[in-house]
Amino acid sequence: MTELKESMQKAHARLKKRRAAEKRFKMFGVGALAFAFLCVLMLFTSIISNGYTGFKQSYIQLDFVMDETIIDPDGSRDPAKMRFSNYNALVKTALKTKFPDVTNRRDKRKLYGLISSSAGFDLRDMVLDDPSIIGTTQSVWVMASDEVDMLIKGVFDRTQPESTRPISNTEIAWVETLEKEERVESRFNTNFFTSGDSREPEQAGIQGALVGSALTMLVTLALSFPLGVMAAIYLEEFAPKNKFTYLVEVNINNLAAVPSIVFGLLGLAIFLNLFGMPRSAPVAGGMVLALMTLPTIIIAARAALKSIPPSIMEAAIGVGASKMQAVFHHQLPLALPGILTGTIIGMAQALGETAPLLMIGMVAFIADVPSTPFDPATVLPVQVYLWADSPERAFVEKTSAAIMVLLGFLITMNALAVLLRKKLERRW
Amino acid sequence: MKPMTKDNAVDIEKELNLSNGNVSKGVNSVKLSQDEVKIAARDVRVKYGEKEALFGINLDMPKGKVTSFIGPSGCGKSTFLRCLNRMNDTIDGCSVTGQIMVDDVDILSKQVDTVLLRAKIGMVFQKPNPFPKSIYDNVAYGPRLHGLATDKNALDEIVEISLEKVGLLKEVKDRLLEPGTGLSGGQQQRLCIARAIAVDPEILLMDEPCSALDPIATAKIEELIDELRGSYTIVIVTHSMQQAARVSQQTAFFHLGNLVEYGETEQIFTSPVDERTKGYITGRFG
Amino acid sequence: MQTTIFTFTVLLLALIGFYMGRARAVSSVGGNIRQLHSLPRHYGYYVSLWCGLPTLFLFILWFIFEPQIINSLVLHNVTAINDETSSAMVARILSDIKFIAANGTNVKSATPEMIAAADHYLALKKIGIACLGVAVLAFAIVGLVIGNKNIGEKLKARDQVEKAIRILLLASSVVAILTTIGIVSSLLFEAIRFFGKVPLSEFLFGLEWSPQIALRKDQVASQGSFGAVPIFAGTMLISFIAMCVAVPVGLLSAIYMSEYATPKVRGLGKPVLEILAGIPTVVYGFFAALVVAPTIRNIGEGWGLEVASESALAAGLVMGIMIIPFVSSLSDDVIRAVPQALRDGSYALGGTKSETVLQVILPAALPGIVGGIMLAISRAIGETMIVVMAAGLSANLTANPLQAVTTATVQMVTLLVGDQEFDSPKTLAAFALGLVLFCVTLCLNVIALRVVAKYREKYD
Repeated sequence: MTELKESMQKAHARLKKRRAAEKRFKMFGVGALAFAFLCVLMLFTSIISNGYTGFKQSYIQLDFVMDETIIDPDGSRDPAKMRFSNYNALVKTALKTKFPDVTNRRDKRKLYGLISSSAGFDLRDMVLDDPSIIGTTQSVWVMASDEVDMLIKGVFDRTQPESTRPISNTEIAWVETLEKEERVESRFNTNFFTSGDSREPEQAGIQGALVGSALTMLVTLALSFPLGVMAAIYLEEFAPKNKFTYLVEVNINNLAAVPSIVFGLLGLAIFLNLFGMPRSAPVAGGMVLALMTLPTIIIAARAALKSIPPSIMEAAIGVGASKMQAVFHHQLPLALPGILTGTIIGMAQALGETAPLLMIGMVAFIADVPSTPFDPATVLPVQVYLWADSPERAFVEKTSAAIMVLLGFLITMNALAVLLRKKLERRW
Repeated sequence: MKPMTKDNAVDIEKELNLSNGNVSKGVNSVKLSQDEVKIAARDVRVKYGEKEALFGINLDMPKGKVTSFIGPSGCGKSTFLRCLNRMNDTIDGCSVTGQIMVDDVDILSKQVDTVLLRAKIGMVFQKPNPFPKSIYDNVAYGPRLHGLATDKNALDEIVEISLEKVGLLKEVKDRLLEPGTGLSGGQQQRLCIARAIAVDPEILLMDEPCSALDPIATAKIEELIDELRGSYTIVIVTHSMQQAARVSQQTAFFHLGNLVEYGETEQIFTSPVDERTKGYITGRFG
Repeated sequence: MQTTIFTFTVLLLALIGFYMGRARAVSSVGGNIRQLHSLPRHYGYYVSLWCGLPTLFLFILWFIFEPQIINSLVLHNVTAINDETSSAMVARILSDIKFIAANGTNVKSATPEMIAAADHYLALKKIGIACLGVAVLAFAIVGLVIGNKNIGEKLKARDQVEKAIRILLLASSVVAILTTIGIVSSLLFEAIRFFGKVPLSEFLFGLEWSPQIALRKDQVASQGSFGAVPIFAGTMLISFIAMCVAVPVGLLSAIYMSEYATPKVRGLGKPVLEILAGIPTVVYGFFAALVVAPTIRNIGEGWGLEVASESALAAGLVMGIMIIPFVSSLSDDVIRAVPQALRDGSYALGGTKSETVLQVILPAALPGIVGGIMLAISRAIGETMIVVMAAGLSANLTANPLQAVTTATVQMVTLLVGDQEFDSPKTLAAFALGLVLFCVTLCLNVIALRVVAKYREKYD
């Protein structure tokens, strides 16, 4: 029977085309996955390549004459007076001394622009700490300005023609002189983590945003976790199957899909205008985020509670526990890993939220670090948004660095959730 | 080494037994000539991951006749059936070794294209699984895939003939465009059979085709099997011994992954040789 | 702060109540605990709850209403405010008063009336706190006494305690309903005020959107046009581009992962998609503005096309990338729900995998996939940060993806963030847009969930 039937012959003829189509289809599938992978790669590469330099800061060493006539003209050594002396003049003098040939006014301004305005404050702090240095010459490492910083990090390319970059050849020449004298150094940018926002990119840091985020997350957790778990317990164990329960469940599912900006409007209209809560405060932001996170926690908690086999509850009730005792003594503790996992994931989502917080005003320029949840504050994603808007090239680096910190937190939280799930969850 | 003929398959098995204790120590009382054999299985073993499910099955199935596989649940009869059209390929981690000859071609070899193979060997499943398409499209699915019809008229013809063969045409003639899932259980199963024969196969595999149906529908399907045999070689897995007795000419009894006994249906049911066969037939287990 | 002190006092009283109740319960049966209905500690909880719960309610009420009451009392005496003043102006005056109150009276711009108001504010605050303290203490002590009095052998303390807990649990679930009510009422309230100033037909059908700033205080608010059609068009354009990216990639990757991929590939693919899902939208927005938009601009100009620096294409592309995991995971669920029997039927007839997917699985899964796509569209429409950072501000009515368009969410942010102007309709317009957004996403979600539920029914 080696002769093929007619139908078999037809089938044979078509086979090649079909196999080719199969291969093509599979390639499309691979292509789609590859595209997704490529997007992740591109995103991370661009952020990291722009941001890693943000963790370094260039410093320049200059010799400052602690001129008494400027710092303490009446010789009283009174800290209140010395606080407001013109330390910038000392900086200017130091620069003029270093580059004495600079005479023309525009060039002088460029020269003073080599050093960050923080230098004046550094000198002030030195004097207030130790007034005995007045009258001496101090060799101090001070922060370079953002343009010089960009130059030293190679973001501004020296080799390109002058018109393509925001820093001129004269300034480059000065910097190169300083580099030759080994007066230029690149250090780890601790300032990024220790100071709050600033108009000057080189001085800007995320401490304010970090503390603000922490306070906001605290409020969010304190509100959404108990409410969410309690609501889940009620819905899963105690709610009668009636219209009201159905309404609640429908509401929760809908809330989970409402755009985040609408929650911001709710916060604005009710928390700020109606309840009169302080604008820009973590307490208001935390409450808005808590409402957003609530559905996530409720859904996760319900799933966790549902996964506990009923035999455990039956055993507890069988020895005389009330329903509530059975729930709180047995079901809840066993469901806790699942609930915690869902909560961590919900918190991670809340950490990255920006839009609703913009609505309730956490978008103002906050230079001070907040100390209570009622002080005006900003959060890390909003800080990223604000910096992304700024024109200075140096802010690109800072924004990317802040994003790296934010992503670092998110990755840690998600990894923690996955770890928790693996270690503590039992298969029934 | 004796030449391998169908007659001394049993002796060869015994020789193989010396080195490998797991080979099916089956009793094979079927005497078939070369021409009569449609499917010949040699030392077929199946493993799901580490778990062994079938231990060296040796079996010949005759052309144009109905062969039934019987045995208690989990004995491997469905697994073996699925080897015959390489459906086990779709299961992750399942490995099939051995040889299965269908018309001088070892279908287990890598060169065989499973797509063409399954056009030649059709399958009907335990629970009727019509596609969520119209009755017409259900039957036309196979022929369309393989390009068996050159135009709409040819396709219509194929559909009509297939439905006629399973006795459905009269019942559904004026509602061919209605969904196949709207039919009764028995009708759905007949639809699935029509679907299978629409691609003009030579062999039909049936995995407990009546277990989800009521007695009347079952009777209809058994009648259909009787009509179809002759034009097709049919292999049917069934958990009902009465059905096997009614419908098949050869019967193979499987137990715990081994082929225990294989012979003419009448002989198996009236005078089984192996003790295990006897025990199953008389209802002592399974 | 005083409230912390009050909280601690109440907690302390509750603790004392616990011990008192427990002791009293035990003594009432002469030490024979088995005669009690509940465990001794339940009697303790009973008294604590009597002490603590009413005060908790009091705290919440005070927290919610105190600012409003004080604000209205203070403003009552301020002549600069009357019925005509916009809410933005009122808010500014209030914050000025609070600033003076916090920083002493030597603020430069303080008028005598403002200083008086500031003093009034401080005085009212003191009275408020005092009232709270007294009320809290009273409630706590009365609660303690009542609770204690009820202790006796006959008291089914545990039942009472559990009843109270049950009510607490119920109250937590009601928060969800309250939230929805809050959203709907705040949106409706402000939107209705808006439509009082700008007719609904202009909003829904007008073709020009330029919400004007009132240059003078007495300028009539309906200057400037509030035709939202370009906004809706822009939203749809960007969402459409996003769907064009997300649906094919998401669907194909779901198909590949569930039908073709080896466990190894699945192990790599799933985390990649989860990473895409977990990246905050502000990061996507930054990426769009920093990398994608300039790249598209350069490519476009290389081909001689005119590309805006905030093209709809850039924003839509990145939004599509963000939505890929959404489409992928929903499709994956839906595809897995298709019974294996259908696949087996197709393979047994000699179908290849791609034929089975395209001709059997996808048609079977179609309702579910459509539902998933609707949910994804809803997500795209409501997305804010990506478009705020990468899309334009001008309400441009166009279908050209290389131009800049604006969306509803961008407008909502622009109108509400930044200096609060005198002009209310601008702020109110944001709420009107919010109302439309909420309604549209709600409809999409409800329909989508219904479709998916019906589809699941078929196969379960």
